[in-house]
Amino acid sequence: MKGLQQLRIVGGAVHDPTNGIDGEVRDVCIENGRVVAALPDGAPTLDAGGMIVMAGGVDIHSHLASSSCNHARRLLPEEHAAEPAPAPLLEDGAPARSGTGGTVPSTFTTGYRYAGLGYTTVFDAAVAPIMARHSHAELEDTPCVDGGFFALMGNDEYLLRLIASGERGRSRDYAAWLLGATGAYAIKIVNPGGIEAWKSGQRNLNSLDETLTTHGVTPRAILETLADAANQLGLPHPVHIHCNNLGMPGNVAVTLASMRALAGRRAHFTHAQFHAYGGPGWSSGAVPLMEYVNSHPELSIDVGQVMFGPAATITADGPVEYLLHKSSGRKWVNIDIELETGCGIVPILYRDKAAVSALQWAIGLELFLLSADPWRVVLSTDHPNGGSFLSYPALIQLLMDRTVRGERLKQINPKLLAGSALADGLTREYTLNEIAIITRAGPARLLGLQQKGHLGPGADADVTVYSRDPDIARMFATPRYVIKAGTLVVEEGQLRRAPAGRRLHVRPGYDDALLPGLQKHFQAYSTVAFDNYPVRGIRDEPIPL
Amino acid sequence: MTDDRVEQVTCLGCGCGCDDIAVTVREGRIVDTSPPCPLGRAWFGDGSVPWQVLRGGQPVAVEEALTEAAEMLVRSRGRVLVYVGVDLSSQAQRSAIALADLLHATVDTATSETAAAGLLAGQRRGRATATLGEIRNRADVLLFWGVDPVLRYPRFHSRYAPEPPGVGIPEGRAGRFVIAVNIGADRAPPGADATITLEASEEIGALSLMRAALRDSRPAELPPPFKQAADLLPRLTGARYAVLVHDAEPTAEPRNPLRVEGLIALAQALNGPTRAALCSLRAGGNRPGAESVLTWQTGYPMAVDYSRGYPRYEPGLRGLNRLETGGFSAALVVGSPDFSAGTTSALARIDTIAIGPRATQASFNPRLAIDTGVAGIHDGGTGYRMDEVPLSLRPPLRGQRSTVEALGGLVKGIRLLGQPA
Ligand code: SF4
Ligand SMILES: [Zn+2]
Repeated sequence: MKGLQQLRIVGGAVHDPTNGIDGEVRDVCIENGRVVAALPDGAPTLDAGGMIVMAGGVDIHSHLASSSCNHARRLLPEEHAAEPAPAPLLEDGAPARSGTGGTVPSTFTTGYRYAGLGYTTVFDAAVAPIMARHSHAELEDTPCVDGGFFALMGNDEYLLRLIASGERGRSRDYAAWLLGATGAYAIKIVNPGGIEAWKSGQRNLNSLDETLTTHGVTPRAILETLADAANQLGLPHPVHIHCNNLGMPGNVAVTLASMRALAGRRAHFTHAQFHAYGGPGWSSGAVPLMEYVNSHPELSIDVGQVMFGPAATITADGPVEYLLHKSSGRKWVNIDIELETGCGIVPILYRDKAAVSALQWAIGLELFLLSADPWRVVLSTDHPNGGSFLSYPALIQLLMDRTVRGERLKQINPKLLAGSALADGLTREYTLNEIAIITRAGPARLLGLQQKGHLGPGADADVTVYSRDPDIARMFATPRYVIKAGTLVVEEGQLRRAPAGRRLHVRPGYDDALLPGLQKHFQAYSTVAFDNYPVRGIRDEPIPL
Repeated sequence: MTDDRVEQVTCLGCGCGCDDIAVTVREGRIVDTSPPCPLGRAWFGDGSVPWQVLRGGQPVAVEEALTEAAEMLVRSRGRVLVYVGVDLSSQAQRSAIALADLLHATVDTATSETAAAGLLAGQRRGRATATLGEIRNRADVLLFWGVDPVLRYPRFHSRYAPEPPGVGIPEGRAGRFVIAVNIGADRAPPGADATITLEASEEIGALSLMRAALRDSRPAELPPPFKQAADLLPRLTGARYAVLVHDAEPTAEPRNPLRVEGLIALAQALNGPTRAALCSLRAGGNRPGAESVLTWQTGYPMAVDYSRGYPRYEPGLRGLNRLETGGFSAALVVGSPDFSAGTTSALARIDTIAIGPRATQASFNPRLAIDTGVAGIHDGGTGYRMDEVPLSLRPPLRGQRSTVEALGGLVKGIRLLGQPA
């Protein structure tokens, strides 16, 4: 059962919401790395009788392969020492790699652990374009998952200049060039204009129409320009937005304003939990946020759930990390990255007895439970910001089992929960099909990955098989089988093979008239030569647009 | 005869990582590099390196050498040391560390004897820093703490700061205020806008006082050098973007290890009143590359021990020290480091394999030596600048054997022996 040409997964209850299959017992046939409609009799079989079959998980927003992650790894030797990760024993003694865990595990360990959870596709959500080469190298060393990353553009010097001079078309060309030059998959905005404000001494931008004084540009203009660019370029994933004012009380106002600013445009708003605080003071803003999301089908969010325990905040949002460092007293990294963006890191501990952590936990659950359309509300913890991806199974349990959720709610600090929908009693329980949507089918669709997240003919043969278990968290933490592009990666709960993943990236076209001005900009201000900037030799072809 | 000119070559002669070098090649030899830089010239030389494979000093086929090297490492009765040098691309460093994992070896790098104090302080406190372009484009106040980059980082002034104009500093040098702090024999640049001089014994006290002054808690009366140091504070807090520059590499004079921690703390604290960054100068070769690869593969930037089958961090007991006390029975040296006499003779006593640029010229007489190309001269790939920006290497010469290729052959040989798990 190795270099499987063919495999029939027999007798499992299949949850494939993309194809309208909700727990029906049927076979899933695999041939040459793809799902096929049928196989000849006598093809090898895998008995999934009594088990649950889903497509491989798709993580739309994680931090796993970037220079920022690596700075976080380096900052946390104490976590690594506490969690050594010996190499798994692969079949036929194939070489495997050891590593370390903690909130930001080493790359090989990250790949093994994602596969061990049944996730087979992962995106790093924040890569500084100038550091793209580094991310590709880390992804090379992250086995078992197909992966890519989003390029940070919302504070880019050249883009800000183009926006300031009203050059929307040229901005789109520049975004296209940056995606191709870095081998990125999507456009990412973090704190539009706010990082440049941090770097230039203005400290931050707090509302959508506050002007970035160095450029005379507003967050609104940045959002509009890049949302339009993504849509006009026909990118598989729309612009991926981390709003202004992350983590601040009352920030739901700027989040809603950002959503309204892009009304009618496709856009993805990330780790919404961190942007859903009422105010003044701390309270939940989940209800108005979800009312808006539910009634605007062009929008999607991922939740960015906080899970209690240690985490590491890693973000391009430098000003937020400074404030977190000042308020928590924890160690702090800030790296200002030339002409493009920033990077901040602070370790954090979310305690259930801490009022703000408890509120954050509750808000995340509210976003899930108030969602009217699971296709547009994706499961994430903003790994490792809200918690490790290893906590996804526990999160799924909270969504599927209201008894467990209610018990947990009783243990947390209730101080800031007055008026929260969760405290008032949300009885919804996610079904297995809804879980399949928020962990694979939905994110795959939002990412425009037509061959991911489902099990119809033509899909990539990324399949996860779970043994039924009354303990939902245990069931999702320990899949019985995981198949990646037709290779049986996890067998009887053990990681047995660790194939390399594919690189997911795009290379949109642009008008060459962009180049002379851009080259001049490089010559004047960049410390990297224009010709040396692009990443070359990416192993896989770009996704056709 | 015609010259070939290769443009925009990346130099790893120091951590500046200038990627604007035009290299002129004539008959396979480098005859010119420009713009001129003494260290860069020395780094490239004429590009000629040996391309031999030697066993006990005698030529042998590379396949044979690799097979024998694999056997030597796998059958080693005691522990194996893998030393990862700096004249390597990150891709080569990556393969070397993969080998160490496979062999349950101990990894050592140049970092342990050079920039370790700064890395350890950074692990305790974090740090506030910026890439070199950010310094060029923003720094309006620069403080050189006991270093004049001109000597060991020749183009730092002209490419990064204070000379060139930047986005926020259109006037270049005239738009920046430069402060020089001389510390004992560690001299800061002449021609600064303000200069103070401290005895080596005074520097840690001065750094503490500067942080105290930042909190408005400086003593009223201070002896002159301390007063001068504390008086620098308004200059720094009045900056739009202040950059403190220090040398993370050792100088001949022993240095107080508290210096870097004090500078990290000061740079972080300055981010209350204004914006500030600490710039740590790093020497040539791909030093930050070795740290970066080690970190993503193990979680630790240096001094990793795989002997228990997983990475452990041993910054206080680095491989080379254990080598001299007989801790290893075999060693794989990747790259061409300059070892001390003690290390050289310890390596000569055990089974040592050298793979890398000029391996056959290694002073420690390896049993097996395989010459490969120098990163950025014959080998392509990635090299990291001192600020950890990954640069593309554009080798002007064609080599006969890349380091990655040779290490790949060794991995294959070890796997054929089916050992160890
Ligand atoms: S300054 Fe350093 S990197 Fe630049 S050319 Fe000189 S030696 Fe090479
Ligand atoms: Zn994130």
